[in-house]
Amino acid sequence: MSSPYLRSLLAGLVLCFAAGGPCHAEDVMVFAAASLTNALNDIAEQFSAKTGTHMSASYAASSALAKQIEQGAPAQIFASADLKWMDYLVEKKLVVADSRINLLGNRLVLVAPADSKLDKMEITPKTDIAALAGNGRISTGDPDSVPVGLYFRQAMERSGQWAAIEPKLARADSVRAALAQVERGEAPLGVVYATDAAISRKVKVVGVFPESMHDFIVYPFALVTGKDSAAAKGLLAYLSTNDAKAVWVRYGFKVN
Amino acid sequence: MFSLTPLEIEALRLSLLVSGVAVAGSLPLGILCAWVLARRDFPGKVLVDGLIHLPLVLPPVVVGYFLLVVLGRRGPVGSLLLDWFGITLGFTWKGAAIASAVIAFPLMVRAIRLSLESVDRGLEQAARTLGCGPVRTFFTVTLPLVSPGLLTGTILGFARSLSEFGATITFVSNIPGETRTLPIALYALTQVPGGDAAAMRLCVISVAVAFIALLAAEILARRVQTRLRG
Repeated sequence: MSSPYLRSLLAGLVLCFAAGGPCHAEDVMVFAAASLTNALNDIAEQFSAKTGTHMSASYAASSALAKQIEQGAPAQIFASADLKWMDYLVEKKLVVADSRINLLGNRLVLVAPADSKLDKMEITPKTDIAALAGNGRISTGDPDSVPVGLYFRQAMERSGQWAAIEPKLARADSVRAALAQVERGEAPLGVVYATDAAISRKVKVVGVFPESMHDFIVYPFALVTGKDSAAAKGLLAYLSTNDAKAVWVRYGFKVN
Repeated sequence: MFSLTPLEIEALRLSLLVSGVAVAGSLPLGILCAWVLARRDFPGKVLVDGLIHLPLVLPPVVVGYFLLVVLGRRGPVGSLLLDWFGITLGFTWKGAAIASAVIAFPLMVRAIRLSLESVDRGLEQAARTLGCGPVRTFFTVTLPLVSPGLLTGTILGFARSLSEFGATITFVSNIPGETRTLPIALYALTQVPGGDAAAMRLCVISVAVAFIALLAAEILARRVQTRLRG
């Protein structure tokens, strides 16, 4: 057989694996909160057109991603939808603490399917959210771990409604899964971020939770320890340039 | 002593309920399908056979998504169920049972069918010549003869239902007390900081339940075998 050919092929394979990462040295792997999906994909496209560096991203609940990074997942940048999960990784020294920037802000909103009879209202701590749901369920991220659920839980605890709300929850495994449940009409109400509600035509915003009801919604970004290549640093820096800011703002994020 | 927390008891109870209902509800249809596949020839049999076995090879999330689209509140079947009977399956243990039943169905049918194919047709014909009707023959001769297959099919289906995750979480989500079965509770715990110890306990419970089910199946199967041999 053509053994020289085979040998060079094998050598190539070995080199690839020996490099320890993707064969493409220019790829950056980002683990980002599900709510960042559309905006971050757009920015990545811009970035790739300008620099030739491609971004591949894994979008899920920040909780799931933080746990995966803890287990050694090949992320280079982590973007969380709350401070808690970033703090969790900082504490374990799994992200580079001084690369961390609290880049974005968002708002918590109550949504309903587009054909719902609910009118737009002003939400106050007195608004009886459980009553609005009637016999149906309120879909949001799992309030034990997923940030959007944690913010909602906080809002309900501060207004003394948590006991009434908890049995009515449909616990989704990310904010986008919760959004999809409302889009399909499975749940008559959902709690998502303003930016998620804005990208869906099948849901409408019933009300915006006042920021006094929960911690400020902050998205910290940071480099993952040991994976902070030049390309990763370049992408992280690009996320706060004016070009990127324009995209964040277009999707409704607040840029800090 | 290993005592269970309320969360564990709830997940265990739900798992047993969902799997039990899934198997009990689909067994009659399973027997019918197995009988048709084993005894009848008709055009398109290959297609029907393939369709029944599809959930065995499809990723469970595909099955779950399909169920969601068809049986969801706005789906073609789901909206009829809601309008006519006021039944919703999404977010309920009944939906979880349906997801489990669909996933476990091929395993059940396979076991019963193999058993049916090995039945000595002479015994059935003897019953018929002695004046026994076809239905009575089926229930008094055929069914007892395939009881080992029924048992295997039921246990396999039950075990597969216990481990069902993908179709369930896609179709009915994760609701404590409704759809949070053992695997889903375990999945939720893997995402909570400091949840590892609790997750490990659920692993132990899952292993124990599966092992007990298999052991019970083995013992029952032996008893049936000895009885059949007389």
